Amino acid sequence: MEPDVSIETLSIIRIAVLPIGTIPPTLLRDYHSMLLRHHTIALSAISSFYTEHQKSPFTNQPWDSGSLRFKFVLGGSPPSPWEDFQSNRKMLAVIGLCHCPSSPDLDSVTEKFNVACKSYSSALVRRCFAFSPGDSQLEDGDKKGENLILFPPSDKQTQEFHLQTMMQDIAASLLMEFEKWVLQAESAGTILKTPLDSQASLNSEEVIKAKKRRLGRAQKTIGDYSLLAGSPVDANAHYSTALELARLTGDYFWYAGALEGSVCALLVDRMGQRDVALEDEVRYRYTNVILHYRKSFIQEIAQRVSPLSFELEATLKLARFLCRRELAKEVVELLTNAADGAKSLIDASDRLILYVEVARLFGALGYQRKAAFFCRQVAQLYLQQDNRLAAISAMQVLSMTTDAYRIQSRASMSKVSVNNETGRLPDAGKMHHHSIVSLFESHWSTLQMVVLREILLSAVRAGDPLAAWSAAARLLRWHYPLITPSGQNGLANSLANSADRLPSGTRCADPALPFVRLFSFPLHSSQVDIVKRNPAREDWWTGSAPSGPFIYTPFSKGDANESSKQELIWVVGEPVQVLVELANPCCFDLRIDSIYLSAHSSNFDAFPVSVDIPPNSAKVITLSGIPTAVGPVTIPGCTVHCFGVITEHVFRDVDNLLLGAAQGLVFSDPFRSCGSAKLRHVFVPNISVAPPLPLLVANVVGGDGAIILYEGEIREVCINFANAGTVPIVQAHVSLSGKNQDAVISIADEALQSALPLKPGAQVTLPVTLKAWHVGPTDSDNTMSSGRNAAGNTGRPKDGTSPSLLIHYAGPLSNNGDSQEKESIVPPGRRLVVPLQICVLQGLSFVKARLLSMEIPAHVSDNLRDEDIERESNADSLVKINPFRGSWGLRFLELELSNPTDVVFEISVFVQLENSAKEDDSSPVQDSPEYEYPKTRIDRDYSARVLIPLEHFKLPVLDGSFFTKDPPPGSPSSSRNPSFSEKNTKAEINTLIKNLISKIKVRWQSGRNSSGELDIKDAIQTALQTTVMDVLLPDPLTFGFRLVRNGLEKDPETKAESPFSKGSVLSHEVTPMEVLVRNNTSEAIKLNLSVTCRDVAGQNCTEGADATVLWAGALSGISMEVAPLQEARHCFSLFFLVPGEYTMVAAAVIEDANNVLRARAGTASPNEPIFCRGPPFHVCVAGGAL
Amino acid sequence: MIVCVAVVGHQNNPLYIQSFTDADDALKLHHIVHCSLDVIEERVNNPKKSGTTLNEAFLGLLYPTVNYKVYGYLTNTKVKFILVTTDLDVRDTDVRSFFRKFHAAYVDAVSNPFHVPGKKITSRTFAQTVSNIVGSYGLN
Repeated sequence: MEPDVSIETLSIIRIAVLPIGTIPPTLLRDYHSMLLRHHTIALSAISSFYTEHQKSPFTNQPWDSGSLRFKFVLGGSPPSPWEDFQSNRKMLAVIGLCHCPSSPDLDSVTEKFNVACKSYSSALVRRCFAFSPGDSQLEDGDKKGENLILFPPSDKQTQEFHLQTMMQDIAASLLMEFEKWVLQAESAGTILKTPLDSQASLNSEEVIKAKKRRLGRAQKTIGDYSLLAGSPVDANAHYSTALELARLTGDYFWYAGALEGSVCALLVDRMGQRDVALEDEVRYRYTNVILHYRKSFIQEIAQRVSPLSFELEATLKLARFLCRRELAKEVVELLTNAADGAKSLIDASDRLILYVEVARLFGALGYQRKAAFFCRQVAQLYLQQDNRLAAISAMQVLSMTTDAYRIQSRASMSKVSVNNETGRLPDAGKMHHHSIVSLFESHWSTLQMVVLREILLSAVRAGDPLAAWSAAARLLRWHYPLITPSGQNGLANSLANSADRLPSGTRCADPALPFVRLFSFPLHSSQVDIVKRNPAREDWWTGSAPSGPFIYTPFSKGDANESSKQELIWVVGEPVQVLVELANPCCFDLRIDSIYLSAHSSNFDAFPVSVDIPPNSAKVITLSGIPTAVGPVTIPGCTVHCFGVITEHVFRDVDNLLLGAAQGLVFSDPFRSCGSAKLRHVFVPNISVAPPLPLLVANVVGGDGAIILYEGEIREVCINFANAGTVPIVQAHVSLSGKNQDAVISIADEALQSALPLKPGAQVTLPVTLKAWHVGPTDSDNTMSSGRNAAGNTGRPKDGTSPSLLIHYAGPLSNNGDSQEKESIVPPGRRLVVPLQICVLQGLSFVKARLLSMEIPAHVSDNLRDEDIERESNADSLVKINPFRGSWGLRFLELELSNPTDVVFEISVFVQLENSAKEDDSSPVQDSPEYEYPKTRIDRDYSARVLIPLEHFKLPVLDGSFFTKDPPPGSPSSSRNPSFSEKNTKAEINTLIKNLISKIKVRWQSGRNSSGELDIKDAIQTALQTTVMDVLLPDPLTFGFRLVRNGLEKDPETKAESPFSKGSVLSHEVTPMEVLVRNNTSEAIKLNLSVTCRDVAGQNCTEGADATVLWAGALSGISMEVAPLQEARHCFSLFFLVPGEYTMVAAAVIEDANNVLRARAGTASPNEPIFCRGPPFHVCVAGGAL
Repeated sequence: MIVCVAVVGHQNNPLYIQSFTDADDALKLHHIVHCSLDVIEERVNNPKKSGTTLNEAFLGLLYPTVNYKVYGYLTNTKVKFILVTTDLDVRDTDVRSFFRKFHAAYVDAVSNPFHVPGKKITSRTFAQTVSNIVGSYGLN
């Protein structure tokens, strides 16, 4: 069998093209391509070379429309044993190609050509073309004879014209030789034989039959030559005669051959025009051809030679003629029959050619999978030959099947698919190239793995390590779940062995392992803080950061861009990082020699990293690089150097794989099987590179934890700025952001402005004055608890409580050396956020504040004594008499402070004095505006109480305003008076408290640097609200005791008897006394009064059998009514039996109390009586005359 | 004798392939089913040219070989059923009834709420039902 046969093959003249001498391969290819251009020469073109020596046997030669067709066989081929049967199988001409500079001796060239021509006895024309001869060779060329033709060196066009002339001469010579041969064949008695003819001894019957068949066979051969000469009408006439003779003599084989020739003559005569009738005629005749080939099957010699190959070849010719989609079923049947007949072919080469033709025709029909199947058959036949060249052929054939099985290499996908040659039929079907990779057909793993394994095997035999590596990579990457661990290890070894034979740095389009996907694009702080500058505005930093308390503002213009996060700006020269996840789902340790980001935009230098991934595991690594030029950066994946070969792993491929795994279309997710968590899909942002920018680095002098302030402390902190970039800083602006911005008292930004332009590497120090803010109750609790939990550690700053310095800075407007167009582009500015890690500690913990009242019992005396005592109290600045209390009292403001820190605090209390109040006094502190009490020291983990005397409390003002505002009793609108008076009372109290607080200052000092003021206003106000009512307001009833004098006569007696004991009471005498009850309210009060007298032991002296005090009058159950703001008196007498110290106490139970009194007393039940008790009064009883 | 039945998804992805022979020819049957997709694709893309009506689910004989006959069936959702038999004198009515029962079994299998459309059919009930259908028709 012969490859690439068609019905019209019978009309093609074969010419052997032989290289003579040494010819460079490129020149040989050029000469051969020049010859191929003349595969068809019109008969009209050779009329000038044709000379009719005698009458031509081709009487119907179509000189105007006919042509001769050539097929150039480079290198020639051995003679076929079927040359007599089909004349087109003969080499009818020989053309030698010679390169004169390589073969200087033309005589030897001629001799070599003559020797080569001896192998082609059937050649009718012999020519040797010698190209590029020298001058001496040109002179000798004319003497060598007509077979050697010299092509002088000239341009290509002239050479092609020369070659065309020579080919026309060859065609004319061939035509004349054909005429000569036909004339000889008709008259001569040549015996035409085929291998099918019997070799037995010729008996008389055999000889007679052979003579009869000779005539028919001669006619068929003459018809063949007529076809070759381009005269189909003459050929058809001869074929008709041959058909009659062959049928009469039972020569079925030659009958089929003649029938084939007649079909070819019919087609050549039609010159390519087809219609249904022609197709039916061809189909009918070829069906007969196939039948007669089958009939010529001879059983005796079937093992040696068989016409089966001709039968199958005829089937293929018919299939090729009918090959188009509309007749797919018929063609498929023909091809299937041909494929089934291949099993009976004797020669393996014939079977190989048959499968090639079947695969090619199936592909022309569009049946890609069937074509791939037969390609595999071809490859298997090649692999059966233990030959390197056969292995190369097998590998190439298998590579053509990868499209149908969806396992094509990435390198072959990028090439444009070329349609297979399907002869010159105009309606031949085109191959449907599936250029889109179909993910869903990847489930044919059983077939895919077999094909990939065969490709790997053939590549190994062919000695192509790159193809072997590619096949093993695809097999391992896409089918690892179906491969056993030992198989995976075997494939890894195949990859390593193939890489050993490859040169270092070889790249392959098919990745193997690992699976790489994008984990995240971490935004470095230097990338986030890039601000686009508007050259029209000087203050380009305004509006760049979100102002106000809202981070998200829906009405801002640029909000949509920010939320999508599709933009990313990198800076030339600054390293960036990308997080990538690698997965190794196989069962061996994966050693990745290097992996780095593959940037297709050539403005990014990536840094390679070496990774080791254990079996069945995943790992997230950081890949970094430096942008090198301005422009967009494209990072579609990573470049991996693994198994000795460099491959590119595209993120999109893995995304498609994971998408298929999620939908159940792919076997497994390599990342999930490696234990990796399910990752949200990460998009590659639009990355653009900005020109080099300055980079400002801030350092707080003393460290980031240096700003530890106590509440109220003021300190100056220095921040050191350095330009770490390569561009000087020309513009800078300082502003504040974050919480507690009032903590920053001042920023000396003139120091920064004066340092501009800040050159690369330069530094500047910026002083900032800070003040610690007030720590709230929650912060206080947190600080105290955290402080106590971490003993010895200072508190840590809380997130979001510190202010931040916001510095916008930029380089020059245009870089040096930029072109005119680039100057319009302003490089962006930058923003640096320096968080001031201010940690405010609770220096002193304000526990509570109380208003204390210390009472000194007054002595019972007469009025004169009281006046003397009042004068004495005026001299004492700390004691003040309260006429409503009836006793003397000291008032203190007690502050309890706690020190939870590690340092020592000293407390100083300052009280502002009222000059107007002290004008009448002659105290020495009158001159100073503030009175400072002695300092109090509080050690660590200790508490202290600071007592602040309140001798200047403005109680008289309260008393006066309180009572003057009350309306007189008996008013018609008495029901509204209590609420109205209460409001006034509260307002007065609040005013007093505020006045008191504003006068007191508590300052603290710790060490040499720390000092501040304690904020106690809120605490004191809250604490005093609950106690001021009890301390400042007077009681409803005020009690007092007084001695009663009877007349002037007694006075001299008293003076005369005891001149040293003024105001004292003598024992064993009747002492008249009276108790004063004062009503401090605006309503009349009915009460039940009782008086008790107790000794130093606290016992009641007026009751019991052991009473030591005798009394006259009523001491209990005294009913009396006191008018509003009036006093009532009750007289009684006491007779003391024992001298000593006694205490008098008055108490009363108020009856029918109104709501005001109940609210004042705070009783729970409306029926509960209100009990009032006065302060104790001292009575000093001296010994009597006894 | 039925040697192989197959279910192929609408993206030409194999959902179920089962051979019923004792010989080790699963790979060959895989190839036969895979190659029959060529003919099915042609029928799907050119319904009028192939001579069948639009609503005809039974595709008939896809292509003959010397040893096997391959029949096809196409559902409304473009799922293909493929039958490979070694009988050379099979009647179309028998193949139609086989495909009708096979289609019913397939509908039951994909109606499972835990079945993911497009995934391979791994139901043991479906496999058992298919074996029963093949067994009942294999005797003809």
